[in-house]
Amino acid sequence: MAKKTRIKAKLKKGVVTVKALASHEMLSHQEAERAKKEANWITYVVAKVNGNIVYEVSTSQFLSKNPYMKFQFQAEATGTKKGDKIEFTWVDLKGNTNTSTGKIK
Amino acid sequence: MMERRNFLSLGLGVLAASVVVPSTLSAVDYRKDKPKAWEQDKIDLALKEIFGTSETAEGKVKLKAPDIAENGAVIPVTVSAKAGTRVAILQDVNPQSLVAVFTVPKGGIVDYSVRIKMMKTGNVYAIVEDGGKLYKASKQVKVTIGGCGG
Repeated sequence: MAKKTRIKAKLKKGVVTVKALASHEMLSHQEAERAKKEANWITYVVAKVNGNIVYEVSTSQFLSKNPYMKFQFQAEATGTKKGDKIEFTWVDLKGNTNTSTGKIK
Repeated sequence: MMERRNFLSLGLGVLAASVVVPSTLSAVDYRKDKPKAWEQDKIDLALKEIFGTSETAEGKVKLKAPDIAENGAVIPVTVSAKAGTRVAILQDVNPQSLVAVFTVPKGGIVDYSVRIKMMKTGNVYAIVEDGGKLYKASKQVKVTIGGCGG
């Protein structure tokens, strides 16, 4: 199932800017009822570089479908260099998880 | 060799920092740790669950959201601040108030963008916890077409 998260990461002037687009229905209870499907949405996201957490968020059913997330972090404080891989993991209500990686350019 | 040098400087950096930051170094999943927070339908109650208080001050937080959202199912929201240990986004029109809680890791920068859903016209709130205090910014977003499937 093509559920990969699309990741774009750039390191510029000591700051890494990441744009991630996760692939998930994000069905809130209301929407699930209307669609006659089970409610399910991403509840937790964590991104790591070289094992260090650089982004972490717990989320509700009120994030849009196919969640877009943009965040930044300091390269030096997290030991990040160009060419490093950023690992983006999400967990949803049902317990499914998905980890995708992107390269920091 | 590059790695060793970087590794060393990392270690020194940690020693030199010596700023006491509430332990945000371990992964925190608020869905597991504070399940009640997600059930609250009032901003203050959700804040109390996550932060232990609902007292907030103005300032320090910048909240960017559209004045009018044509599609209530996709409303871009950006929260930024010079510093912070935790950040929360809430709104007052959906069945529950809490939308997201960010834990700012070491080296993290408070500049987060996400897209949210709002059932109808209402206010989006951004809370940044800095130095044990909560700072709040809010903005009204007019929604023309409701965003929760309604």
